[in-house]
Amino acid sequence: MNQEKFLSIFNTLTDGILVFDAKRKLSLINTSAKKFLNVKENEVLGKSIKELSDHPTLKFLYYILGEEIREVEKRELELKKNDLILEVTSLSLPFGEKLVILHDISREKRVERLKTEFISVTAHQLRTPLASMKWALEILSKENLKDASKQMIEKLKEANKKMLQLVNELLNVLKIEEGKSQLRLEKANIEDLIKEVIENYTLLLEEKKLQFQVKFPSKKLPKIRIDKNKISFVVQTLLENAISYTPPGGEIYLNLEFLGNEVKFSIRDTGVGIKKEEQKYIFQKFFRGSGAKKMKTEGSGLALYMAKKIIEAHGGKIWFQSEEGKGTTFYFTLPLK
Amino acid sequence: MKKTILIIEDEKDLRFFLKTALSQEGYEVKEAFDAEEGFEKLKEKKPDLILLDILLPGKSGFDFLTQIKADPNFESIPVLILSNYGRQEDIEKGLKLGAVDYLIKANFTLEEIVQKVKKILKP
Repeated sequence: MNQEKFLSIFNTLTDGILVFDAKRKLSLINTSAKKFLNVKENEVLGKSIKELSDHPTLKFLYYILGEEIREVEKRELELKKNDLILEVTSLSLPFGEKLVILHDISREKRVERLKTEFISVTAHQLRTPLASMKWALEILSKENLKDASKQMIEKLKEANKKMLQLVNELLNVLKIEEGKSQLRLEKANIEDLIKEVIENYTLLLEEKKLQFQVKFPSKKLPKIRIDKNKISFVVQTLLENAISYTPPGGEIYLNLEFLGNEVKFSIRDTGVGIKKEEQKYIFQKFFRGSGAKKMKTEGSGLALYMAKKIIEAHGGKIWFQSEEGKGTTFYFTLPLK
Repeated sequence: MKKTILIIEDEKDLRFFLKTALSQEGYEVKEAFDAEEGFEKLKEKKPDLILLDILLPGKSGFDFLTQIKADPNFESIPVLILSNYGRQEDIEKGLKLGAVDYLIKANFTLEEIVQKVKKILKP
């Protein structure tokens, strides 16, 4: 293919493309990239990204790629002035060049925001009639009613509670997705926090005749900076899952370890386990495994999704090991700093 | 003497339930549909506590709260916010403006709300 032909194709691509040569100087830029970044070819060609780092749009690209044009995959870049959201990917070409691809995702993002807004408004609006039902049922249940009526009211209360839970969980998910759910970090003793969570479950553990063993480090742990409410939620979710998915008589082991620069939490159960083919979906939104049907547990499939987001926002990791019929172990780590 | 509670809430049903629960506890309950009416009721008789919704037609609950906290006649009346919009920033705003607490209506039973009220009004 001759160069002219190549360039005309290169310039009709809807993705923006930049090529940096082996010395990290910009050697090629196509029309879309120029449009996205608001630059003229003669201003930028032959320059390194650092030399361009005071340019109003290129500086953001510099923050993402650095002087060396490090490899990134689908990193989001919002250019507010140009009303654009781009997805940045960079890779190495043979002969030492670097290729940077800018993919315009502004439209998708706008649709996503509308969707989020729509769900948020709907969920909030639902709370009013749901509160109305909740309070009406509360008043009704204090009346002198026949047993059959009382039972129905209890059922309605249950249904109402579930709807409210779903609304609350949806709003939590949205908060996390909008990035609005900033962490409120404070120094806390994670051991105490876990003990507090456990306390709420002692009755349930007894009722289900589950053996429950807890092991904390022998040495007192240093306090770590965490969002107490959110980490409590994660511990609660994992403990609740272990209880729900372990048949009566089973065992649950909770373990906290100190690994020098991080703490590692694990909770192992001898429950129903997670099917191999379902394991990759466990942290997905709204996913509920077949174990849920088996154990007749209820839930929206949002808690583990949120748990993952929370742990990752703390700079930690969350994962699990499971074998169907044998049990599951969930782990998470939190960095000390 | 009976203590008076003023409910400012635009949803008729919710007002009715709150009134029912609070009257049963022996409180005298006054109702207002929006901030405007809230002010009128406030002037008729100074309540011991205000239950305040945030999303109201016209002036918002926040506006109402700001105004009464700036009025020496009323600034000492405790205000309990009951709203279904409870984003973190809303809650912080409400508390900063001087509300005693900020409750998401749908997440509390009438019983729990009554307990909160009692606690605030404890002599």
